[in-house]
Amino acid sequence: MAIEDDVVVIGGGLAGMTTALSAAREGSRVRLLSHKESTLRFASGLIDVLGYVEGEIVSNPFETISALPDEHPYQKVGEDGVRAGLALFDSVADYAGDHTDRNALVPTFGGRIKPTARYPKHTAPGLASDERDTLLVGFETVVDFDAPVAAEHLRETVPFDVRGVTLSFPGEFRTDAKITRLAHALDKNERVEIGSSENVSQSEPVRIALAEKIKPHLGDAERIGFPAMLGEDHPEDVRATLERKLDVEVFEIPMGPPSLPGMRLEAQFESALKEAGVRITTGNPVVDFESGDNGEISAVVVERNGAAIPFHGEQFVLATGGLVGKGIDSDREGVREPIFDCRVPAPEDRYEWSEDGAFDNHAFARFGVQVDDELRPLDSAGEPEFENLRAVGGVLGNCDVSAEKSASGVSLSTGTVAGRKASDEVNP
Amino acid sequence: MSEKEAESRNPSELQDVFSGEPMDLRPGSDDCYKCSTCDTECPVAEVDDDFPGPKFQGPEQWRLKRKGDHDIDDSVMSCSNCMRCDNACPSEVPLSQMHNTARGKYVDEQMSKLSREYIRNRILSNYGRLAPLASKFPRLTNFVMGLSVTKFVNEKVMGITSQREFPDFATETFTDWWEKRGGKATSKERAQEARTKRGDAAENDDKRVAYFHGDYSNYNTPEVAKAMVRVFEQFGYEVAVPDQRCSGTPMFANGMMDDARRAAKFNIETFAALVEQGYDVICSCTSCSMALRQEYPELYSFDGTAKVAANTFEALEYLRVHEDLEGELADSSVPESEFGELAYHAPCHAKNQGLDGQAVELLSALDGTDPVDVGDSCSGISGTYGWKSEKYDTSMKIGDEMFEHMEDVESETGMTECPTCAMQMNHGTGYDIRHPLEVLDSALVN
Amino acid sequence: MANDAEVLVVGGGSTGTGIARDLALRGVDVTLVEKGNLTHGTTGRMHGLLHSGGRYAVSDQASATECIEENRVLRDIASHCVEMTGGQFVQLEGDSDDYFEEKLRGCRECGIPAEVLTAKEARDQEPYLTKDVKRAISVPDGAIDPFRLCVANAADAEMHGARIETHAEVTDVLVDENDVVGVEVRHESGPGKRNHARPGTKEEIRADYVVNATGAWAGQLGEMAGVDIEVRPSKGVMVVMNCRQVDTVINHCRPKGDADIIVPHEVTAILGTTDEEVSDPENYPEEGWEVDMMIDQLSKLVPILRDSRTVRSFWGVRPLYEPPGTGTTDPTDITRDFFLLDHEERDGLTGLTSIVGGKFTTYRAMAEQISDHVCDQLGVRGRCRTADEPLPGSDDFSILRDYMDEFGIRSPIGRRSVQRLGSRADDVLKTDGPNPVLCECEAVTQSEIQDAIDGSGTDLNAVRIRTRASMGNCQGGICCHRMANELHPEHDEPTAREALDELFQERWKGERHALWGEQLSQAALNYALHATTMNRDAPEANGGQDAETDTIDFSAFDAGRNGKGVVDGDGGINGD
Repeated sequence: MAIEDDVVVIGGGLAGMTTALSAAREGSRVRLLSHKESTLRFASGLIDVLGYVEGEIVSNPFETISALPDEHPYQKVGEDGVRAGLALFDSVADYAGDHTDRNALVPTFGGRIKPTARYPKHTAPGLASDERDTLLVGFETVVDFDAPVAAEHLRETVPFDVRGVTLSFPGEFRTDAKITRLAHALDKNERVEIGSSENVSQSEPVRIALAEKIKPHLGDAERIGFPAMLGEDHPEDVRATLERKLDVEVFEIPMGPPSLPGMRLEAQFESALKEAGVRITTGNPVVDFESGDNGEISAVVVERNGAAIPFHGEQFVLATGGLVGKGIDSDREGVREPIFDCRVPAPEDRYEWSEDGAFDNHAFARFGVQVDDELRPLDSAGEPEFENLRAVGGVLGNCDVSAEKSASGVSLSTGTVAGRKASDEVNP
Repeated sequence: MSEKEAESRNPSELQDVFSGEPMDLRPGSDDCYKCSTCDTECPVAEVDDDFPGPKFQGPEQWRLKRKGDHDIDDSVMSCSNCMRCDNACPSEVPLSQMHNTARGKYVDEQMSKLSREYIRNRILSNYGRLAPLASKFPRLTNFVMGLSVTKFVNEKVMGITSQREFPDFATETFTDWWEKRGGKATSKERAQEARTKRGDAAENDDKRVAYFHGDYSNYNTPEVAKAMVRVFEQFGYEVAVPDQRCSGTPMFANGMMDDARRAAKFNIETFAALVEQGYDVICSCTSCSMALRQEYPELYSFDGTAKVAANTFEALEYLRVHEDLEGELADSSVPESEFGELAYHAPCHAKNQGLDGQAVELLSALDGTDPVDVGDSCSGISGTYGWKSEKYDTSMKIGDEMFEHMEDVESETGMTECPTCAMQMNHGTGYDIRHPLEVLDSALVN
Repeated sequence: MANDAEVLVVGGGSTGTGIARDLALRGVDVTLVEKGNLTHGTTGRMHGLLHSGGRYAVSDQASATECIEENRVLRDIASHCVEMTGGQFVQLEGDSDDYFEEKLRGCRECGIPAEVLTAKEARDQEPYLTKDVKRAISVPDGAIDPFRLCVANAADAEMHGARIETHAEVTDVLVDENDVVGVEVRHESGPGKRNHARPGTKEEIRADYVVNATGAWAGQLGEMAGVDIEVRPSKGVMVVMNCRQVDTVINHCRPKGDADIIVPHEVTAILGTTDEEVSDPENYPEEGWEVDMMIDQLSKLVPILRDSRTVRSFWGVRPLYEPPGTGTTDPTDITRDFFLLDHEERDGLTGLTSIVGGKFTTYRAMAEQISDHVCDQLGVRGRCRTADEPLPGSDDFSILRDYMDEFGIRSPIGRRSVQRLGSRADDVLKTDGPNPVLCECEAVTQSEIQDAIDGSGTDLNAVRIRTRASMGNCQGGICCHRMANELHPEHDEPTAREALDELFQERWKGERHALWGEQLSQAALNYALHATTMNRDAPEANGGQDAETDTIDFSAFDAGRNGKGVVDGDGGINGD
C-alpha cells in the first residue's frame, strides 16, 4: 500500500507538532495526521512549564521538577527532557523568556498574574516584576476583558500602579464583530470614520484613530496593556505604530478563545514543520489501526466519509490531547482512549471524577494514559500496549496541568523526547 | 445495524419542526463547547462586518429555535459555503449542514421569488443548465460574454459583477471527446493494454472507476477531464463516464434546495448503480467530491447515498491510496518550461476532505516541477459567491492574502484542483492556472 | 407601637410572591421575606410544567379541573413566562389500553380539551418520538418559567407598595402570649438588595398577621412559633438536556411511575422525575442512579435522549402534606391538594396561617384563597384582581419585529430576548451605545444583564434566574466573568469577584451530575479557561482583600530582558 512514512504522529496540537518536528529533525520521514484545527486556537499562547506545586507558586521550575511525584510526565523525561522541549520551542517561535530559568509573571485577562516560562514578545513589556506604571485598555464590545476590573485587582497585587479604561473601538464596526475581525482591521490598518466636519466625513487609519482615543487617558503610564488582539499577521507593526504614536511601550494580555497569540504560534509551528519536510494530512479522524505480525501497529486508519484510508509507518505517536482535545473520551460508564483503546484509569463511580468545589482537586483533570520511561502507554499489567506506540501531551495522565500551569511544558518535553526516541528506533 | 444507530439522529429521516421538511438540527448544538475555533477560520467574518460568524450562525442560532419561529437571520446569505468551519470544529458540530439548511429555509420562506437577487442566484447556481446551450456555440458565447455591453447589462440588471471575465467555453466538450474516442469500450481496451504492460492480468474487475467530471471540466476545461481519463487508464483502470448532473455545490451555496435535491437524486441513483457493480467514483474537482461525500449524506437519504459517499475519491487521493503514485512520479519528469515552479493553492473544499497537502507532497518528488504552497487562506470566490456584484469586494479582500503569496512565487503559473479557485487565482494575478492531473498526465502518460 | 407591615409573608416562592402580589393589589401593606433568592426553595426546582390537568385526570379530578382553569388564567396574565407548547400523553406498544381510555375520558370529564392522535400524527408533531408509539392524547400542557413568573409577581407587588426582602432568613418568630406579632430576620448584607461586600444585620419586623408560605420548610417555621406542622417533603430529580429534542410536553401515558415526562423548557428539555420521601428538605442524597433512570427510561419514549448532552441535574422537594392520621405510606399517593392551616383554629395561636401542599400551576388560586382568609382576619375589604391584571411584561407584545432596526441586535437574539422580556423589551433593549451579547448560549445582551442587576443587586444567581444567562451549554464557563464585570464600577472589584465565585460555584455544583461525554469536555475546557488562562484558581488570587504582595517575591521572577527590574533583584538573568 502506498502511503508510508517512518514516524506517524496522530494529533496536530502543540504536542503533535513538537513530536513531528523533533522526529523530522532527527532525519525521519514524518507524517502528521490531524483531525481538526489545534487547541492552540483557544489556549492563551503562553508557554507554561510549572507554575505551582501543591499550591505554592514556583519561581524556578527547574529547581522544582524533582519534587514532583514519580508518575508525573516530567519525571519520565527528566529535567533534560524539559530543557530539550524548551530548546526546540525557542528554535521555532519568536518568544521571550529564554534568557532565564525563572518564571515570569504575566497579567491575565481575569486580573490575576500567572507564572509562565515563555511568553510572546508582544506580552513581554507587561511583566509584573517590571515596575513601570501601567494603563490597561479594554473595548466596549470585547466583553471578555474589563480593563477597570482587571486593573483594580492587579493593583492589589503588583508593585506598581495600574489603571484601566474602557473605550469604544474606533470605526463603525458591528457590535458583534469578532475579535479576529478587529485584529485584521489593525493588521491592514484599514481607514475608519472618525466623525465628520462640515458634513464631510473624516477618516484615518485605524491604528492612528486608536492611539488618538487613548491619548487623553495616558496620564503617567509608561506602558499600555491591550487584550491580545493587535493583529494576527503583523502584530509587530501594529504595536510599533501604537508605540510611536503614544510614546510608551505597548503589550498584550493573553485572552480566552479565540486566541490570536495561539493562532500566531500555530502559524510559526506550521512553517517550521514545512521547513523540516513533515508531511501533514488534516481534516479526518484516525479511528482505528492495523496490526503487524508481532502485534505491533502497522498502520493507522483514517476515516473519510465512510472510506478507510490506511497510513503506514514504523513508529507511531499518540498526541490527540485530553478531554478538551478529544483524545480522551467518556460516557456514563467510563473513560476511554478511543483509537487504540489504551488503558485510562478512572474511578468506577463517575461522581468521583470531580469534587464539590469548582477548583478542587479533580480526578478528571488527571485522566489520561499511563506510560513507561519510554513514554509507551501501559496496559493493566503494566506492560506496553504496543512496542511501537508512544503517547505525549494532553493524552497523558497523572498531572493536573491547569492547576500546575504546566500544559505547554508537558507537551513540549514529552513531544520532543518521544519524537527523538521514535526516530532512533527507525534509524538507529 | 445496532439499535443505537437505528434510532440515532439521522436528520434526513426527520421532519423539520418548522416546515415539515426534513431536518431538525438543534441536537447538533450538543457538540458545541464554545471554543470559537470556527470563527477564527471563517474568511467572511474576517472581512465582512455584517457576518456574525459560524458559531452564531450555526449552533447558537439553531439552539435558540422553537417550533413556529420563522425568522432566519438574513446574514446567512453572506456565508460563502467554503465550509472551513467544519474543518475547524474540534467537536463535530455539523456547521455547514446547519448553514445550508438555514439558507435553504431563508430562501424558501423569506426571499421574494421575484427579487433580482433570487433570479440572479438561481441563474448562477444553475450554470450547468445554461452551459450546454452556450457550448453549442462556444465562439459566439465567448464573444458575447466578453462584450462590455454584456457585462454592463449583467452588472446593472442581474447583479453579476462586471469585474470578472466569463470563463471561455471549450470548442469541444469533454463528453463529445469521450464519445468520439469510443467511450467505455475504448477505455477498457486501453486499461487492459496498460495492465499487460505492467505485468498484471489483463482482466481485472476491481480496476473500474466511474468519473464524476462535473460541469466545469466538461464545458470549460476538458483538458483536465481528458488528463484524468488518460492517467487512470495508464494505471490500468477502466473508466466509465455516466450521464450526470451538476453536483449541486452552487445550489447549496445559494439555498436553492429544490434544484439541488433534483440534481443530487439523479447523481446518486446513477452512481449508486455503478458502485453496486464494483466501481469506485472519482472526481477531479474537490467541490464535487465534497458534495458527493459530505453534503449528500448530510442532506439526503436516497438509497445508496451513504454507499456513494463511502466510495467516492478525489483523483490523486485514489491513486495514492491504491497505487504507488509517489514511486512512479519519482522516476518521471515533466518539462520545466511548461510547469517549473507552481504556485499551489489548496481549495477550502480540499482542506475539508483532508486533501490539502497531497498535491505538493506528491509532485515534490517529480523532476521538472516545484510546487509551492501559497498558504491556507481561502481564495475568496467560493463558486458563485464572488460573481455577485455586492460580494465582489469581499471576495477580493478574502483573496488578498492568497494573491500576495502567489506574487512571491517566481514563476507565473499556478495550480489548484478547484475551477472557481482557478478563476480567482487567474483574476487576481494573471497567472496561468493548471490542475494537478495535467501535471500527472504530462509525467506519466507517453 | 405601630407595626412595620399589616401582613408579613415568609417565603419567596410562587405561593409567597403570589400572596404578596394579591394582597398588595388589594391595598394591603405587605412585607415578604425570603432567606435566599426568590424561588430559592421548591419553586426554583420545579419542572417548568404548566399543567393542563391531564396528569391528574384519572387520579385526582378536583386537582385536574383546577389546573385547567388556572392554565387558562396564566396564559393570559403571564404570557411572557408561558409557552403554550401543547402536550401529549403517549401510549407505547404494550402499554395498557384501558388506562389510555380512562385518561381520555378523565380529561373530557374535567373539561380538558383532549384529542386522540394516531402514531403518525404524534410523530409528525414530534419527529424524535420512538417508532413504538401506538397513539397519543393531545392536551394543552405548556411550559412556564417559574423564575421570571415569581420575579414578575414580586415586582408587581413592589410597584403596589410591598416590601420584598430577599436573603433575609427568619431566625425567630415573635410570639406574644399566643399571638404571633412578627419575626426576627437576619439580613445577609443589610436590608434591600443584596450586596456581597456589606455585612449582615438583624431586624425585627412586626406585623398584624404572618403567613407561613415556606412550603417544605413550613415545619421549621412552625417550630419557631411553637406549633407542629407535619410536612412530608418528597424529592424528585430533574435532568436538564442541552437543547430541545421535543417542542411538546411528552408524558408517558401509564399509571403513576418515575421518569415519565419531558418538558421543553426555554431552549432546553427537562426530564423528570422521581418521588421519594426525605426527612430534611435541605439535606438529602442526590444520586447518580436517579439521573441514569431518567435518561434510560425516557429514551424509550424519545430515543435520541440516550446519546444527547445533559448539562446538569437538579432536585426539588415537594411540600406534600396530609392531615394528621391519614396514614399514607407511599408519597406518590399523598394528595397534591393544598391545605390552609389556620393556627388559631388548629393550635390556639392567633396571627399565623400556614399553607402547605399544592402545586405550582395553581399557585394563583391558592394565593387568592389565602389572601381572602387573611383579609377576613384583618377585616380588609378588597377584591382579588390577580386573574385579570397582567403581570409586568405580559401586556400586549409581539415577537415579530425588526430587531436589527429597533435594537441593533440580530433577529434570533432579539426574538429570544423578547420571549423573555415580553412587553418590557423596549425599555430594556433600547440602548444608546452598543449592546453586545454577554451570554451567547442563551442570547442575553448586556442591557438585559444590567436590568437584572438593577433588580437584584450583586447576586449573580438572581441575575441568572431573571435572564437565563449562564444557563446554557457552557454553564457559565464563557460568560459568568462577563456578568460579574457588569457589577463594576457601581460595586468594587472584590464585590464583583465574590459574586463571580459564587455563581461559578453554583453552576459547577449542578453540572457535576452531567459530567461525562460532551459536558465533561466542556467542564475541562471551562476549567482550563478559568484556571490556566485566567489563573483564577491560584491560592493567592482567591478570597477578598488579599495582600499578594506579602506572599510573592517579585524579585525572584523574570523581569524581562529590558524591563525595569524590581529594585532588590536582577530579574533573574541566567546563572544566578
